[in-house]
Amino acid sequence: MKRTGDSTMYKIISESEDKNKIKIINIDKNDLVEFMEDYKGKGYYLSSITGVDMKDHLEVIYHIHNYDTHEYIEVKISTTDDKVPSLTKLWKAAEWDEREQYDLMGVIFEGHENLRRIVLPDEWVGHPLRKSYDLKKVQYISMDPEGKEHVSYNENEGW
Amino acid sequence: MKNGDLGIKTTTIEKALEWGSANSLWPLTMGLACCAIEMMATQAADLDIARFGSEIFRNSPRQSDLMIVAGTTTKRMAPRVKRVYEEMPYPKYVIAMGVCVIQGGPYVDGYSVVMGVDKVVPVDVYVPGCPPSPQALTYGIITLQKKIKHETDR
Repeated sequence: MKRTGDSTMYKIISESEDKNKIKIINIDKNDLVEFMEDYKGKGYYLSSITGVDMKDHLEVIYHIHNYDTHEYIEVKISTTDDKVPSLTKLWKAAEWDEREQYDLMGVIFEGHENLRRIVLPDEWVGHPLRKSYDLKKVQYISMDPEGKEHVSYNENEGW
Repeated sequence: MKNGDLGIKTTTIEKALEWGSANSLWPLTMGLACCAIEMMATQAADLDIARFGSEIFRNSPRQSDLMIVAGTTTKRMAPRVKRVYEEMPYPKYVIAMGVCVIQGGPYVDGYSVVMGVDKVVPVDVYVPGCPPSPQALTYGIITLQKKIKHETDR
């Protein structure tokens, strides 16, 4: 199925509804920016970004909301090399959402200007919500008098 | 304290100081997660811990005697909790409120949570619950007052 807007062209892979009548649209990750540009023109705003680790690929889900029609849409894309295009050019609010997904899921947003960790310290190793993350290797955080945080595997060097 | 026949009470300075500090425990707002809501309910009009001398919650550690650690202590928050505790003047006391603060609670073996705030600061009274009811926290404060006055039942 192909849709043509004024200047945009993108391909919708599949379209369905969940039990709460929320529309789910699957698209290719290369069409994401064009798709979102079109839907931003229709009055949709970015509500949140979530990520799912499916072991062989990552799924990134964008929740967009229309304040006039009160309609939610879940836009799903999947990636095998952890890389998806960034939406920071469209919505400034996407910046922190994408940083959170990078921090906890390890999704790399291409085009994001300041892609660094947001909730964990910069020295943290790994992305904790990945299935491959090893919870047995406990990391401890300490803070020096200047307020800089340090991460260590040694239990005595932090909490 | 001893009651004499002359209407005079004799005591020691230590006892008088203990009595004073036990009945004027000013808590510090250390609400880290959802337990803080129950802490606020304890302080509000219905259960009113001002009846027990915990008159007002102070926002500055320099003006408080009691730190109620209410809520999940994350690994990033632990150095801050330690620092705020060190800023408090002596005598100072700590109440660990909720299972997250006692041993990790539902986040036990999680990647981001300290398994018990007693690894960070010394704890005087543990109040279990998820979250503990305001009555439980009030009981914890009464227990701490007994502990300060060396009146524990045990």
